[in-house]
Amino acid sequence: MSLDIEMMRNIGISAHIDSGKTTLSERILFFCQKIHAIHEVRGKDGVGATMDSMELEKERGITIASAATNVVWKDHPVNIIDTPGHVDFTIEVERALRVLDGAVLVLCSVAGVQSQSITVDRQLKRYGVPRVAFVNKTDRTGANPYKVRDQLEEKLGLNSVMMQVPIGLEDKHVGVIDLITMKALYFDGDENYAVRETEIPSELVDEAAEKREIMLEAVSMFDDELMEKVMEGEDVPEELLNKAIRTGTLANELVPVYIGSAYKNKGVQPLLDAVMRYLPSPPDIENKALDLDNDEEEVILPSDPSKPPVALAFKLEDGQYGQLTYIRIYQGTIKKGADLFNVRSKRKFKVGRLVRMHSNSMEDITEAGTGDIVALFGVDCASGDTFCGGDLNLSMTSMFVPNPVISLSVQPKDKAASDKMAKALNRFTKEDPTFRTYVDPETNDTIIQGMGELHLEVYIERMRREYQAEVDTGAPQVAYREAISKRVEWEYTHKKQTGGSGQYAKIKGLMEPLKDENYEFVTKIKGGNIPTEYIPSCDKGFQTAMKKGALLGFPVVNVKMTVLDGASHAVDSSDMAFQTAGLMGFREAYRKAGPIILEPIMKVVVEGPTEFQGNIFGSINQRRGMILASQEEGVNSTVEAEVPLSEMFGYSTTLRSSTQGKAEFTMEFAKFAKVPQSIGEELIKKAEEAKKAGK
Amino acid sequence: MIKKELINKSPLRKMDNSIHGGVGIGNIGVIAARRGIGKTACLVHIATDKLMAGKHVIHVSYAKKVDHIISWYEDIFKEISLKRDLEKAMDIHDEIVKNRVIMNFSQQGTSVIQVIAGVSAMMDNAQMDTSVIVVDGFDFTKSSVEDVAAFKSFAGNKEVELWFTDDYHRDDSDGPTLNEKGIPTNLVSFMDQIDVIFTLKAEKDYLHLYLVKDHETINTEDLPLKLDPKSLLIAEV
Ligand SMILES: Nc1nc2c(ncn2[C@@H]2O[C@H](COP(=O)(O)OP(=O)(O)O)[C@@H](O)[C@H]2O)c(=O)[nH]1
Ligand SMILES: [Mg+2]
Repeated sequence: MSLDIEMMRNIGISAHIDSGKTTLSERILFFCQKIHAIHEVRGKDGVGATMDSMELEKERGITIASAATNVVWKDHPVNIIDTPGHVDFTIEVERALRVLDGAVLVLCSVAGVQSQSITVDRQLKRYGVPRVAFVNKTDRTGANPYKVRDQLEEKLGLNSVMMQVPIGLEDKHVGVIDLITMKALYFDGDENYAVRETEIPSELVDEAAEKREIMLEAVSMFDDELMEKVMEGEDVPEELLNKAIRTGTLANELVPVYIGSAYKNKGVQPLLDAVMRYLPSPPDIENKALDLDNDEEEVILPSDPSKPPVALAFKLEDGQYGQLTYIRIYQGTIKKGADLFNVRSKRKFKVGRLVRMHSNSMEDITEAGTGDIVALFGVDCASGDTFCGGDLNLSMTSMFVPNPVISLSVQPKDKAASDKMAKALNRFTKEDPTFRTYVDPETNDTIIQGMGELHLEVYIERMRREYQAEVDTGAPQVAYREAISKRVEWEYTHKKQTGGSGQYAKIKGLMEPLKDENYEFVTKIKGGNIPTEYIPSCDKGFQTAMKKGALLGFPVVNVKMTVLDGASHAVDSSDMAFQTAGLMGFREAYRKAGPIILEPIMKVVVEGPTEFQGNIFGSINQRRGMILASQEEGVNSTVEAEVPLSEMFGYSTTLRSSTQGKAEFTMEFAKFAKVPQSIGEELIKKAEEAKKAGK
Repeated sequence: MIKKELINKSPLRKMDNSIHGGVGIGNIGVIAARRGIGKTACLVHIATDKLMAGKHVIHVSYAKKVDHIISWYEDIFKEISLKRDLEKAMDIHDEIVKNRVIMNFSQQGTSVIQVIAGVSAMMDNAQMDTSVIVVDGFDFTKSSVEDVAAFKSFAGNKEVELWFTDDYHRDDSDGPTLNEKGIPTNLVSFMDQIDVIFTLKAEKDYLHLYLVKDHETINTEDLPLKLDPKSLLIAEV
């Protein structure tokens, strides 16, 4: 049976590493009474949290795979989507963000807003995901939830408001005061972990009253009736308050802040109540798709279970149950045995098994409705595909897939490994569009490409562990790009007379630098000097040439090609002839257009103790980095910089040794930029030498 | 207009001339005005002018976030380059961004010693060629002569020119904001440390620039300069 859509919640849990995301997820599952034992994340018994199913994950202590787990909290069906925390896995995060409707932002009471809190919050903002904050680890020494609340405002610009007051902190943390009901909540209950509600302890009455005032003031902005009552000093009904908080939260103008200790089982139930109360249900969110039959026109998908289905495959998993495709249904109902259409591959398939994933079991179901997240068995597809029913041809808004910035050659150790590696690579490229692979035609090496060193490392590890494919890897290579710096007019005639029919094509054109876009093709030809059917041949020829630039052999980007004029021959002109003319013409023009090399520049954020800031500044300076800003906040400093990726290899080691392991950094792709001339020359020389050596 | 011409024609040359060539290495210059009157814009314009001349600048601030400081620089650069139709504006922009670092101290009550330590760490390890430091939001009313003297000797040791902004109304007292010589009252005790003081005063529809201390000379001089209320650039009257 389909679930009640108004009651449903699809949420993600986002956090900086080690803030307690895994612990909290597990506690949530626990309190939803779906799992029966609490295992510590890095427990001695070697049993990991249920959310982090991957072996590798446990070792690294970071979350890699996004899985969806269904639980029930007070009659609300909740799908918890595990969002990966590391910036190296941007595409996985983005895809997870796409399918969730609301999020819990977890922060540490001691560390506060950290570098990745900023990254994940930025991502949540980009997708307009409403959130509640959970300030975790209130049991730790130095816990200060109020400071974290301030940082949410100062560092993340969130209109955050405390919904609770802690009863004791650090080792004295025993409960919280709910500022809506003005009751004290204790978590010392029986084995059913019931919350014990009592009057506010007398020593906290004043503080609670004061904090409630602050809360009321912030919340009353979102409801006129409430505003009036607050100003008149009247009693405020609970429902009215909840309604206002929900309005503010859904509009992304308010972030309610909850506190607790996941580890010590404190504060989790009120957080869950807040998720149900304030975070959106699927119909609260407007979802759009692109109509492939109508020039990719945007269409709004009503959350209507009676319409033909539209679903997004957001995650493939080769798990203990076999091959699973996780989908989010945006419209309609998907039934077992029904036909679906994959709009990308244009293939129809039948829904075989349809399952709902619980934390420790899998439930076969016969149908799933709008808003739900379920999994299909044995469907051949790629992650990011859209499935439609009826005769719909809609695609969920295409997601931005960045170009890979780093590559690595992988060589199987033996024949057996070779087959396994092929299987693994096939799977990975389907899971993750930012992970790519190809065979270098010159060296015959298999090359893998991705978004960073760690990104590729993880896949190599997975090859070994999940596929038993032993491989040797080459040194990581930066994925450069080539571009032009000048506009040139050009002309090329391709003429060949070989016995029978010859080849003839002439193109006159314009090559210009382009901003932002990779490629644009324009034709301004008049009077049929190039027959219409050969115009696409010119385009194709240019694009072939762009695959390999003349400087380093990397792809050429940011070029606009305009065909101005040309000539053809009644007998000798052909598709091939115009493609060749396009290709050769491009190459000739390219040489004259001031070709340059572009390199990936990463946005690097380093956080560490102020006492080491000199070393941190130096470490960036030595790497051709540009420090944009430094923020010193007492003992802690944050440095924001832009550094070429080619200089970032081994940075974690350098940073660790120069800061006694007390600093950390995150990095994400920022942009491509021109390499300095001297380095460009060096690169060209090396490329030439490599070419010679290869032959 | 090309860059060189833009620098030569800048109204800031008039400012330099008025103080006989500039504040000078090892010296301190201050722009004082009432709160909310465009001092930051003024300071950013001065910093941008130095950056255009190829100098390296550290911008010290006591703000909560640095984003808006960066946008000040972007806005001021855009105003200047549009107004003067600067050639190769994008290239010049990228070039000067490289020579600029923003250092923000967001904790309340950060001491002068901490700030000097931070800036020194930056100069010793990364921005070695820094010759100008601009400081926005330093509270003179809460500072001692030793504090300002520490900045002064730092400027001497590191061979940099230091610029500050000063809010006269920091302490919200109702007393006179300028003394009989035109010196902001909250700066009076630092006359030995501060070399140059400009004040900004609101006229009917613009802000007028006055020079009140020029190295050894204390004398209010009405400069033919103003702060344009729309672009917030320093401009000729
Ligand atoms: N003291 C304390 N430790 C916690 C709490 N929550 C998590 N931890 C510990 O913090 C570490 C990181 O937690 P984990 O859940 O793996 O964080 P994740 O990286 O965000 O998934 C583990 O050692 C947890 O036991 C908490 O509320 N209090
Ligand atoms: Mg984890």
